[in-house]
Amino acid sequence: MTELTLPLRGLLARPLRTLLTVLGIALAVAGFVALTGLTAGVQHSFASGIDENGADLVVSQRAAFNLVSSTVPKALGSGLSAVPNVEAVSGVLLNITTADDNANIVMAGWPSDSFLWKDMHLVAGRIPAPGDQWPVILGESIATALDKRVGDTVELQFQPYQIVGIASFSSVLNQNSAIVPLEGLQQLLSREDVFTLYEVRLKRPLEKNDIAVARTRLIAAAPGFAVGDTEQFANSIRIFDLLKAIAQTISLVVMAMASVAVANTLLMAVNERTFEIGVLAALGWSPRRILRLILIEGVIMSAAGGVIGIVLGVLTMQMAAKTNFAAGLIVPYLSGWSIAQALIFVFIAGPLGALYPAWRATRLLPADALRRI
Amino acid sequence: MSLLVELSNVGRDFDGGRIVAVDGVSLAIEDDETVAIVGRSGSGKSTILNLVCGLDRPTRGEVRFEGRAVNGRAAWAAVRASRIGIVFQNFFLLQSLSARENIEVALLGNLGGARQRRVRALELLAHFGLAERATLLPAELSGGERQRLAIARALANRPKLLVADEPTGSLDVQTSQSVMGIIGNAHREFGTAVIVVTHDEDVAALCGRRVEISDGRIRSDSRTAAMPKPSANP
Repeated sequence: MTELTLPLRGLLARPLRTLLTVLGIALAVAGFVALTGLTAGVQHSFASGIDENGADLVVSQRAAFNLVSSTVPKALGSGLSAVPNVEAVSGVLLNITTADDNANIVMAGWPSDSFLWKDMHLVAGRIPAPGDQWPVILGESIATALDKRVGDTVELQFQPYQIVGIASFSSVLNQNSAIVPLEGLQQLLSREDVFTLYEVRLKRPLEKNDIAVARTRLIAAAPGFAVGDTEQFANSIRIFDLLKAIAQTISLVVMAMASVAVANTLLMAVNERTFEIGVLAALGWSPRRILRLILIEGVIMSAAGGVIGIVLGVLTMQMAAKTNFAAGLIVPYLSGWSIAQALIFVFIAGPLGALYPAWRATRLLPADALRRI
Repeated sequence: MSLLVELSNVGRDFDGGRIVAVDGVSLAIEDDETVAIVGRSGSGKSTILNLVCGLDRPTRGEVRFEGRAVNGRAAWAAVRASRIGIVFQNFFLLQSLSARENIEVALLGNLGGARQRRVRALELLAHFGLAERATLLPAELSGGERQRLAIARALANRPKLLVADEPTGSLDVQTSQSVMGIIGNAHREFGTAVIVVTHDEDVAALCGRRVEISDGRIRSDSRTAAMPKPSANP
């Protein structure tokens, strides 16, 4: 017999109540994991999507609220191109819309002379050519999802586009995107003289400090704008901070609810087991040991809820990412830190909930407790 | 021979002082004594027993154990853990634990590792003729076996004082005699002082000292030589 025997027997003696409490904690953790993972997923997805295009640095509006609201004037391009060690710059106009009024899709407008076209890996068709009427290249995943082939038509931003190519990408965002010539998209969005951002490619080979030096120079060439790598660009978008704040607030409330569930369960257990606690006290168990007994029960429930919750959260996240609404825009991204945060929450919430019932248990006079048979 | 427990003018009230269960009790018990506290139901004898082992808190007066005043739950828990073994009328065994575990639970915190606790519990079970019942739950034991298990648990930490509250109250005559024999043996073999609360004069007659309680007060305190003095510790 060890210190764990009694808490485990206590929990197993009331399996349904224990299960429901563990489930409550698990749902709280799952909510936290899913919300955090999806929020980080959106951010990570955009960063990796832009990164894949071959850009070393991104010039964007400082602290833009969301991805498509960033505005960079077209006129900035010549100054950026003139920065030493810059091989090429390309304005990019981004938009989120629906494809055939069905799936959400990211539309990227690229200038016809952009370096971005060069690294594209086409699996079918070709890149747009002069004279094409509303041409589009679809990412392979969205083409498959929409059952589209080269030569088919797809409606984007209420405009029928002719599919001239299908491209394969490594990032899920690009696999689910539509790449169109810049001019047509600018016309559709009435944003003729602006881009969402500039992607900047530096000359090869890159030395260790080249990116940092180029960044400093680009900042000088584009005063008032944000210059950074793709991860920094994604981090600077304020809507992600808002999403994170919402996710954390909801998580906090849900975790507090889990803590209350633990408190309620253990309070009931303490009330029901008053006699048992009295016997333990009569046997010489110190108040501290009795406190530990109840706390261990809280920790066991929390640990079980935490592990189940992480698994549930990952599954929920994967399911949510596959819905029509989110497919292609959100790639679940669960960092080790998010898991650690969930476990920290759980190991605070559980014992916190157990603290009051445990304290109550230690306040009982053994004689009073033993009278309650 | 030395003073083990001393109650000095102890009183215990309930219900805001409207019920006086024990009043002005002074009692000194030596470490080699066997004491029967007798009295009618509601006389206050069980309350005195609770005060002797710190299960209850006196409203007035002081309780000293081995010459030291003991105050507070933690201090009393430490005394009970190492110095006092308690046997209850209704056994008060933990129903979710096996016979062996019911003894081990008393050893937690007092005896090193799980293996040592297990060995000690099995020793005690064998000593009390319960070796074959080690894995059974209390509900699967007979009344006599439960009481023997409760005594084994009370003696697990080799206490200086064994306290028994109506230890034969739930048992038939034959089993009662057997249980009192075991308690007597504990006194003789382990040198444990014994306090028995009982309303059974036959049980009281087995003790070397008889303290009669009525209306929460000591009415008489007399010594006989019923239970033999303990031999040296084994």
